[in-house]
Amino acid sequence: MAIIEGEPLALPSGTPDDRPNPLGVFARPHNATGFKDWLTTVDHKKIGIMYGAAAMFFLILGGVSALLIRIQLATPNNTFLSADAYNQVFTMHGTIMVFLVVMPIGAAFANFLMPLQVGARDVAFPRINAFSFWVFLFGGLMLNTSWFLGGGADGGWFNYAPNNGIAYSPSSGIDFWNIGLLIAGIGSLTGAINLITTVLNMRAPGMSFMKMPVFVWMTLVTQFLLLFAIPVLTVAQVLLMLDRQFDSNFFNVEQGADPLLWQHLFWIFGHPEVYLMILPAFGIVSEIIPTFSRKPIFGYPFMVFSGVAIGFMGWGVWAHHMFVSGLGPLSVSAFSVATMFIAVPTGVKILNWLATMWGGKLTLNTAMLFSIGLVTQFTIGGLSGVSHAIAPSDTQQTDTYYIVAHFHYVLFGGALFGFVAGMYFWWPKAFGYKLGEKLGKWNFWGMVIGFNLTFGPMHILGLQGMPRRMQTYDDAMGLNLWNFVASVGSFILGVATLLVLVNAYLSSRKWKAAGRPDVGPDPWDGRTIEWSIQSPAPNHNFDVDPVVTSLDDFWHRKYAEDESGKIRRVATGAQLAQPGNGEGVHLPASSYWPIVLAASFPIIGYGIMFTLWLTIPGGLLLVLGLYGWSLEPADDLDLPHDHDDHADLAGVGASHD
Amino acid sequence: MTKFARPTVWRRRRGPATLVQDMNASLTAARGRRGVPSAAFALVALLTLSACAEDKPLNTFEPRGPQAQMIDNLMTRIWVIMAIVFVLVVGGGIALAIKGRVKAEDFDYEDLPYQRHGNDKLEIGWTIAPAVLLAIICIPTVATIWKLEERNEPQELDVMVIGRQWWWEYRYDVDGDGFFQDANGDGVVDDKDIEWPLELALDNDDLSIANELVIPTGEQIDLVITSGDVIHSFWIPRLNGKRDAVPGRIHTWSLEADEPGKYNGWCTEYCGLSHARMRMSTIALSPADFETWYANQMLQAELPEAPAEGEVASPEWAGRQTFEQVCASCHVVDTPGFEYAENFVAPLTAKAAPNLTHFATRSVMAGAIFSQYSEDPTGRLIDADDDSFDVSNYLGLADEGRFNDAQLRRWISDAPSQKAMAAEDQRGMPAFPQLTDEDLTNLVAYLATLD
Repeated sequence: MAIIEGEPLALPSGTPDDRPNPLGVFARPHNATGFKDWLTTVDHKKIGIMYGAAAMFFLILGGVSALLIRIQLATPNNTFLSADAYNQVFTMHGTIMVFLVVMPIGAAFANFLMPLQVGARDVAFPRINAFSFWVFLFGGLMLNTSWFLGGGADGGWFNYAPNNGIAYSPSSGIDFWNIGLLIAGIGSLTGAINLITTVLNMRAPGMSFMKMPVFVWMTLVTQFLLLFAIPVLTVAQVLLMLDRQFDSNFFNVEQGADPLLWQHLFWIFGHPEVYLMILPAFGIVSEIIPTFSRKPIFGYPFMVFSGVAIGFMGWGVWAHHMFVSGLGPLSVSAFSVATMFIAVPTGVKILNWLATMWGGKLTLNTAMLFSIGLVTQFTIGGLSGVSHAIAPSDTQQTDTYYIVAHFHYVLFGGALFGFVAGMYFWWPKAFGYKLGEKLGKWNFWGMVIGFNLTFGPMHILGLQGMPRRMQTYDDAMGLNLWNFVASVGSFILGVATLLVLVNAYLSSRKWKAAGRPDVGPDPWDGRTIEWSIQSPAPNHNFDVDPVVTSLDDFWHRKYAEDESGKIRRVATGAQLAQPGNGEGVHLPASSYWPIVLAASFPIIGYGIMFTLWLTIPGGLLLVLGLYGWSLEPADDLDLPHDHDDHADLAGVGASHD
Repeated sequence: MTKFARPTVWRRRRGPATLVQDMNASLTAARGRRGVPSAAFALVALLTLSACAEDKPLNTFEPRGPQAQMIDNLMTRIWVIMAIVFVLVVGGGIALAIKGRVKAEDFDYEDLPYQRHGNDKLEIGWTIAPAVLLAIICIPTVATIWKLEERNEPQELDVMVIGRQWWWEYRYDVDGDGFFQDANGDGVVDDKDIEWPLELALDNDDLSIANELVIPTGEQIDLVITSGDVIHSFWIPRLNGKRDAVPGRIHTWSLEADEPGKYNGWCTEYCGLSHARMRMSTIALSPADFETWYANQMLQAELPEAPAEGEVASPEWAGRQTFEQVCASCHVVDTPGFEYAENFVAPLTAKAAPNLTHFATRSVMAGAIFSQYSEDPTGRLIDADDDSFDVSNYLGLADEGRFNDAQLRRWISDAPSQKAMAAEDQRGMPAFPQLTDEDLTNLVAYLATLD
C-alpha cells in the first residue's frame, strides 16, 4: 500500500474561506453542540463512544435477562418464569449479548481506536460511519420493542428452522428478531467496508503492514470476517422473512425443504461470528500486556499471522455446530479435524502473551489484570472447545450446559474481559481521566469470582446431562447443587460487572471535583501513536500527520540505546506529544442524513411485519435520506478547531505543509 | 416384595437441605485424606464426587452400553491431556503474573526488562508441537466417528424414533415391510423413495408406542430417527451420544444396553414451548422379558363389556364411550374391529398424539414427565434411579390399583396447566373443562384396562 510520505491524510484545506455559506434544505449542521452534535456527528471518536454507550445499555438488558434465567434455574421445578416467558428470555439474552453487546463493543473500539492507531483524522467514509451506528442502534431498539408488541423472539438466538416458521412460532417475536437483526446487519456491513478501507488507505506515512499495531491487524481481520459473514446471515434472514411474511417455502418441510439449509447458512455466518467477537479483544490485550510488561509483544509476526490464520480457518469449521445434525461420518470427520487444528493458532497467541509477560516487569493494574484474566479464562474455554471438536465426545456434550460453559468462557471470560481491560486502558484517551484503580480491583476480582462461580459449575452440569434451553429440571436429576451455585455466582457477577459503570461515574465526579486535572497524553508509558496526542483526543486527532518508522513507534521515540547499548529513556511522552492545536485541518462536517436514512429502515421493518402500508412512508423517508445525503454540499465550512495558533507547531513531528 | 410395591426412590427427593449435605459430604471426603486439607483439594474432590455421584440419571460419565463406552474410552485420555495443558497454561500465567510483578513504588522508567522481540525456533516449536498432538488425537477420533456409524447388517430389529412436540414416538416394523408405505399402502424399501409429509408416508400397520423405547439387552438396536414437526434430538447419555431428529430427513443411530434397566434421556435440541418437558427413557429388558413385552404389545386392546339391558354401565365401558367422543380424534386405541380411517391424521400440527393401546404398560406419561405409578403427591416423575426399575410395569402385569390417579385426572382435564401447550395452534393437548369428575373417573378406569 503506497502511502507517500508527507501527503496530507485529510482533504487539503486552510484556504481562505470566501465561498458563500451553502445554506438551504440540504445544508449541514454547523457548530452543533450538545444533543444535536451527538445526533449529527461524523467524528469517529464520538461514534465509537456512542457504540460503547449503546452496548452498555444493551448489556444491562441482556444482564437482567441472564439473571432472570438464573433465578428460574436456581431450584428445580421453579415457576418463576413460565415456559413461554423463559424461552423468550433466553432467546433475547443470547441475541442481545451477541448482536447488541459484544459486537458493538468491538465496533466501539474499532471506531474509536483504530483511526488513532493508524494516525488518521477520521475513518474513510465518515457519514457512512454515522449511518452504521444509527442503523445498528435502530435495529437493536426495534428488536427490543418486541417486549411491548406481543413478546420477544422464542426460537433461540440460532433460531433453527422449522421451529422459526409461522406454524411453530406464530407470535411476531421471531419477526422482530429477524427484521431487527437484518437492519442491524446493514450497519455491520457498511461499517466493515468503511473500516477496511480506512486501514488499507489511511495509515500514517511509514506505517507498513508489519508496523501496524496488533489491534489494527485484528480489526482488519474482524472487519473482513464481518464483510463476508453478515451477507450469509442476511440471505438466511431474507428467506425467513419471505417464509413468514409472504408464505414462501424455503424452510417448509411439507413442501420438500431441508431444514439443514438454515443451519448451514446460520453457522457459516455464526462461526466466523465467534471469531469476530473474540479477535478485537485479542487485539486489545496484545496492546495492554506489552505496555504493562514493559516489553514488546513476543513474536509480533506470529501474533499477526495466527490472527489471520484464525480468520481464514474460521470459515472451514462451521459444521462443528452440526455434529449431531446427521451430516454423515465423512463430513463430521473433516470438520472435526479442521476444528481441532484451529486450536493451533489460538494456542500460539496464548503462548505469545505468556512469553511477553515472561521476564517482564509487570504493573498489575486493573487493565493488566483483566488482560491476564482473558488469557487464563480463554484458555479454559479453548480447552473445552477441543473436547467438543472431538465429534464423538461432542455427541455427549453438544446442546448441554457444557457448551454454555464453553462459550461463556470464550465470550465473557475472553472477549468481555478483554473489552473491560481496554476500557480501563483507553478511558483516559477518550475522556481525559483514569478510572479508579481501587474500585477497578474490586471490579476485577468480583468479576473473576462471579464469573467462575457462575460458569465453572456449568461444565459439571453439562457433563451430568443437563441440556441447554431448559426452562426447568427435575429434582431427581441430581442437578440442584450446581444450578444453585451458578445462580448465586450470577448475582455476584452482575454486581461486579456493574462496577465498570459505577467506576466511570465516580471517577468522573472525582475528576470534575478536582478541577479536571490533565491526565497527560501518555499516562501508561504507551507504545503506539495514539499516546502521542493529548487526552482526551482532540477533535482532529493529530495536529500533523505522524510519520511512523517502527512498530511501537511512540515507544521507540521515548526510549533509545545509549553509547553502551543500554536502552534508556530519552524523552517523556508529554515532551514528545503533539500539543493538540492543529490549524488548517479539514474535518468532515456533521450531517443530518445518516440518522434520517437509518430511521427509515425500522419503519419499513414494522411495515413488513404489521401492515405493508407503513412501508410507503418508510420508503419515502429512505428516498429522502438518500437524496439528502447525495445533495448535501460536499464542501463546506470547516469545523472550528481547538486553537488557531499555528506558531508552536514548528519543528514538531513531520509537517505536511 | 410384591409386584405392587411402591417405588422407594421417591423418599430420596432432594431439596435445599440436601444441597448442603452434598457439599458437606464432598468436603468431608476431601478432609479425610490427611495432609492435603486445602480448599483447592476440597473443591476438586467436590467436583469429582459430584460428577461420579450415582443419583445422576443423565450422567455422561456412566456408560452402560458399548457405544457410550467407546466415547468414554476415547475421552478418558483426552481429559488427562486437557488437565495437563490447563495446569501448565493457567498456572503458568498466574505464576508469571506473580513473579514479574513490580509494585507501583518500585516502578522505574529506566529499569527496563530485557527487550526480547521473539524467538522463531520457539514459535515454530509451539506451533508444531500442538499440531502433532492434535494429529495424534485425530486418529482415534475419526476411528470412533466411523465406529459409531456401524449398523447391523442385516437388521434384526430396528426401531423408528419420531420426535413430536413434546414427546417421543417409537415405531416397530412388525410386518417387516419397512416403516413407510407408498400411496397404495405398499411397503417402501428405500427411505429415499418416500414422500413427505411424514404422516402420510408412515406405515400404519406398525406398532406405535410413546415416551419409553423398549429394547432387549445385549444387542445393538439400530434406530431410524426423524421428526414430525420441528427438530428434536434423541439422547440417552448412558447408552450413546445424541442424534438430531430432523423433519424431512432420516438419520440412523444405534443403542445397546449391557444390563436391564431404565436409561433416561432428554430432548436436546430446542423444540419450542415445552422443550424442557420433553423427556424419554430407554427401557432395556432381558431378551426373554423383551419377547413377552413384544408379544403383549402386538395384542389389540379388549373392549370393555357393554352393559346388558337394564344394567348400570361399568366405569370402564362408560370411559370407553367418553374416550371415543373426546379423545379418539387424536389418540388411537387399537381394538378389535378397529380400522384406521384412510390417511388417518390427528388434527394436530404434528399430526399425531400418543397411541394408547398399551397405555398401562408404560411407567411414565405426558412426555415422560410424570410417573404413572408415583406416590409423590405433586405427581412429578421421581423414579429416576435404576432401583425404581420394575419389570412388571412393562409386561402388562401391573395392577390398576397402582395408577397415579390424581395426576392422570389432572392431566386429562387440564394438560396445559401441567405442561405448557400451544393447543390453540394445534400443538399439544388442550384442556377439557367439559369433563365431569365422573367422566374422569370412568376414563381413568378405562385407561387402566389398556395393558
